Amino acid sequence: MAETLRRVLSSGSAAGTGEGNTTEVGPPLLLLGGPGSGKTALLFASALEAAGEGRGPVLFLTRRPLQSLPRGTRAPLEPLRLQKIRFQYPPSTRELLRFLCSAHEARGPVPSLLLLDGLEEYLAEDPGTQEAAYLAALLLDTAAHFSQVGPGGGCGLIVALQTQEGDSGDALQLALLQRYFPAQCWLQPDALGPGEHCLRACLEPGGRGPRAEWWVAFRPDGEMTITPCPHQPSDPSSDKGSSSGGQP
Amino acid sequence: MAAASRALTLPTVVEELLSEMAAAVRDGARIPDEHLLSLKFVFGSSAVQALDLVDRQSITLISSPSGRRVYQVLGSSGKTYTCLASCHYCSCPAFAFSVLWKSDSLLCKHLLAVYLSQVTSTCQQLSVSDKQLTDILLTEKTHEA
Repeated sequence: MAETLRRVLSSGSAAGTGEGNTTEVGPPLLLLGGPGSGKTALLFASALEAAGEGRGPVLFLTRRPLQSLPRGTRAPLEPLRLQKIRFQYPPSTRELLRFLCSAHEARGPVPSLLLLDGLEEYLAEDPGTQEAAYLAALLLDTAAHFSQVGPGGGCGLIVALQTQEGDSGDALQLALLQRYFPAQCWLQPDALGPGEHCLRACLEPGGRGPRAEWWVAFRPDGEMTITPCPHQPSDPSSDKGSSSGGQP
Repeated sequence: MAAASRALTLPTVVEELLSEMAAAVRDGARIPDEHLLSLKFVFGSSAVQALDLVDRQSITLISSPSGRRVYQVLGSSGKTYTCLASCHYCSCPAFAFSVLWKSDSLLCKHLLAVYLSQVTSTCQQLSVSDKQLTDILLTEKTHEA
């Protein structure tokens, strides 16, 4: 599912336009970052992007309604696009599991993109290895079912997970989730980038396409600006270590 | 589709082995002995146990009118385990411990049995309602709780 996110992040540059017509659904993607790193804004931008593709609706699962609509995304906040984004608010892990297990009973158009924000909150309720694996596997299974019965093009899957420093239990859980989500995008604070509240978004598309980096900055009014990072061929080894280790 | 998802986590060598076995079965031949030996080499004792599960027709592919599918495997102890059709997941303790937690196995014997039964086309088939399939997926969870 890296391509939808890549298109969102490539908004400023002409380089992204060549790939704009790829309809192939890539591997499921895990969006990782600390508190306030813009995960929800990027998820929502992905939802808007996918909603404008003329395919099925976008299913956005989150524990609570968005506080505000993120601004500054490439895709405009058109009513027609917004209508295609269907929010569901499972209040507990049990309700989320119930929703995923019964997804095949739903009638109506089949989603083209499944998004989940705040996976860490659902995992915190039921932190066992098997429980976490079943939740991840069910997310994949639900998206796979949508892909199978949908009109073609498949259903993508992007899941946002908040990372924390330190905790070794979290590292184990993260390693487990990475098995199910081969593509990852890391959001890390970056003092070198433009703007005050700036993050580096690092996309590792899981064996498909090149690794890529962007700066994502948020202005005080909440507007998001995205600029591609200049290519730095010298540092990937050290940078790779920090990104796959999960700590900024 | 199952094959595509599997490729994300199964090493290519296993993937190739399974597709060669599938080709042999399609041609009406027996699975060559060297493939069985390779299987034993990669998966150890799980390979023999998985082949035993296939022989005893312990694998059931459950599907509902929606098109969603799930596998159930009747283990040697008489307990039934649920395996997802789209990605690696089995509800047995060995999968949680050896595959996910310790990472010293690629698959548990139940998942391997599922893949072998796909190759040999020896799954039992069972049709249930959409609601019943939901319950099967959900009870998998409540068993563990």
